[in-house]
Amino acid sequence: MVNVLKGVLVECDPAMKQFLLHLDEKLILGRKFILQELDEKHLFIASDIVETLQAKIDDLMDRISFPLHEKDN
Amino acid sequence: MSKSKGRKRKNEDEYDLQTILEDDISNDGTTEAAVPQASGRNAEKNDDGIQEDEYGAKDYRMHLELKTDHSSRPLYVAPNGHIFLETFSPVYKNAHDFLIAISEPVCRPEHIHEYKLTAYSLYAAVSVGLQTHDIIEYLRRLCKTSIPKGIEEFIKLCTLSYGKVKLVLKHNRYFIESPHPEILQKLLKDPVIQQCRLKRTEENMGEEFIKSQQNMKGVTFGQKTTVEEPEGNNEKNQVPEDLQKLIDNEEEEEEVNLETVSFEVDQEKIEIIQKRCIEIDHPLLAEYDFRNDTINKDINIDLKPAAVLRPYQEKSLRKMFGNGRARSGVIVLPCGAGKSLVGVTACCTVRKRALVLCNSGVSVEQWKQQFKMWSTADDSMICRFTSEAKDKPMGCGILITTYSMITHTQKRSWEAEQTMKWLQEQEWGIMVLDEVHTIPAKMFRRVLTIVQSHCKLGLTATLLREDDKIADLNFLIGPKLYEANWLELQKNGYIARVACAEVWCPMTAEFYREYLIAKVSKRMLLYVMNPNKFRMCQYLIQYHERRGDKIIVFSDNVFALKHYAKKMNKPYIYGPTLQNERIQILQNFKFNPKVNTIFVSKVADTSFDLPEANVLIQISSHGGSRRQEAQRLGRILRAKKGSFAEEYNAFFYTLVSQDTMEMSYSRKRQRFLVNQGYSYKVITHLSGMDEDQSLFYKTREEQGQLLQQVLAASDIDCEDEKVPGEIGGSRPGTSRKTGGFSSLSGADNEVYFEQKKKSSVQHPLFKRFR
Repeated sequence: MVNVLKGVLVECDPAMKQFLLHLDEKLILGRKFILQELDEKHLFIASDIVETLQAKIDDLMDRISFPLHEKDN
Repeated sequence: MSKSKGRKRKNEDEYDLQTILEDDISNDGTTEAAVPQASGRNAEKNDDGIQEDEYGAKDYRMHLELKTDHSSRPLYVAPNGHIFLETFSPVYKNAHDFLIAISEPVCRPEHIHEYKLTAYSLYAAVSVGLQTHDIIEYLRRLCKTSIPKGIEEFIKLCTLSYGKVKLVLKHNRYFIESPHPEILQKLLKDPVIQQCRLKRTEENMGEEFIKSQQNMKGVTFGQKTTVEEPEGNNEKNQVPEDLQKLIDNEEEEEEVNLETVSFEVDQEKIEIIQKRCIEIDHPLLAEYDFRNDTINKDINIDLKPAAVLRPYQEKSLRKMFGNGRARSGVIVLPCGAGKSLVGVTACCTVRKRALVLCNSGVSVEQWKQQFKMWSTADDSMICRFTSEAKDKPMGCGILITTYSMITHTQKRSWEAEQTMKWLQEQEWGIMVLDEVHTIPAKMFRRVLTIVQSHCKLGLTATLLREDDKIADLNFLIGPKLYEANWLELQKNGYIARVACAEVWCPMTAEFYREYLIAKVSKRMLLYVMNPNKFRMCQYLIQYHERRGDKIIVFSDNVFALKHYAKKMNKPYIYGPTLQNERIQILQNFKFNPKVNTIFVSKVADTSFDLPEANVLIQISSHGGSRRQEAQRLGRILRAKKGSFAEEYNAFFYTLVSQDTMEMSYSRKRQRFLVNQGYSYKVITHLSGMDEDQSLFYKTREEQGQLLQQVLAASDIDCEDEKVPGEIGGSRPGTSRKTGGFSSLSGADNEVYFEQKKKSSVQHPLFKRFR
């Protein structure tokens, strides 16, 4: 039998790939979404997860960036 | 979040005052907040209801009227107390000096400076002799628009009652002095102050005051070195007449005889009375009439003719000795701008016994050298009092010691005991407090109860603390007398021109994987030990060693410090390193051409004078501490010789592991320097690094071994070094940045950006991706 899954190719740096693997393994987004690991920089993921994933990554970026204008007092 | 924090702090302060009240006087149930009423006053909310656009810009057009000759006037005063100054105005220099005196600098980049009027800054203004009327009048003339009503009122409220009462130490007794008898009457009606009043003689119980006269006269410092400034005639034409008149008048000093009245107060209750006076809006100014002090012998000390004060040093001292008396206060100069010379000159001006307090044994030695270099003091006059060196104190004029030595509570040696006793009996003319921002308030209070000093001069580079305790200094020492502008000093070549760079090191896949699943404490070690960071660090060191630079590498984390240093075979200094070993390493760094790089932990943050160093690399740091960042920058700020040809002559790199918390810390740390006008470059790639075969941790296997070592490290290794006497717990956090050399030569692969203040409503375009 042939299973057809719609997917998206993701290119990222090695560290970000680890982050995606981490999300996948720990089921942080509620389910597994990586269809295939291709190489160091490429992954094939389920296309319906893309939006949630983007939000999650924005979240990470927000956490590690610090708003400069924040009032000192 | 910040709101609730603020409230908590207030409560703590309240508690603080209460315990003091309980300790010192019978508690009468006062629960008033210790936060002085004055400081609670704030112009910030004066403009509620003003329209803001989506970026937070405010529209004041309806409220302020633009003057017709606005283009020749240098500044705007906003109704919320913020002042914006054009640095390219012909009267910039005068306006700048004036603003420094009355307001706090907020942000000083190249073209427009932002200042803010606060209750404390106005208090400082009054204490250096400015009158309410003058402040408003001068501001009105400098301003491009009409002065907002609210601001005028704010200035009046904050200044009218200020500066009227002074705390004077005479003949070892404290007096409260004022030219206005009615104000003293008012003070005495206050129950708290009444309790603090000291009545020496039983029969003199009446409300009579001691009358005296004060003679105001200016002071000169050592040789008269001011070069008369050439009259800028061509520029003058652009300056409105009223402004010019003001500027011309400014310099003239008045000589007046003032009738004053005073009453005596109990020395042990000085702090209560100071706090209380702030609460009832009559803050005390501490002054010392050193020329008329006949009880304390003059010490024979003068500035050497070779000691020439730079203009900003003289200006700061002028603020301190403005009316012929010595005021207590804090002078803020960047590291390397010659704080010690200011301290030495102050001592030479007062010419009474001087006590210098600093942070460490090393800086005690450095202060002694400074005294010998700039003044006529010799070994017999200078006494060091540290755990290593105890000179005989009797008969000396200058005593140099550390804060911990004075506040030490355990048993001392007999010798030290004698010195302490002597020290307590003395009436000191001046007390110089080096790196004053670093002392915990408690320790500071102890110093003040042990030592009696006529005036106190605090010296620091960064008047900021993450715990907001700076306000305490206002009543423990005195107002801020002067604060220098970093960029201006840099432009004039008084301090080094520093290129700041944040170097982003990508985490290797293996390290990031562990980072994601590691405990919080372990995470820090993972991003500090990131092999890419190590490689970038090594590459930077090799690059700068080839250029003949002297490099200091900072790491707060001892595990990383040792690992980096041992792997690269460089000397390192950290807490447990012995004093003579430290000196040996520092000497080698100074004079041995083979030792060009040293690794240091945070023990070197302050007061390690390393004038040779011109490159600084940070691989791990103390969370988001702005102060540490500024202090570290200060290590390489000392002006470099013969380097005017290059655009930059010092380099400051912070290595940061990408996608980790370090990024956030690093951004936080930069705030202070960004406000001083520095900009950080971001470097994401060092060209030539991949080809360099001499770098360690090239292969996966080597990196894997390193990872194993990191994972095997104990919890203690994960923490920052703890330096005794430090306040506050250490936050797990390190930041690193790597910088590209390509940027030095003209930049290829680098992303360059300048950090600007963003509006509170962030545009989604700018929000993402750092």
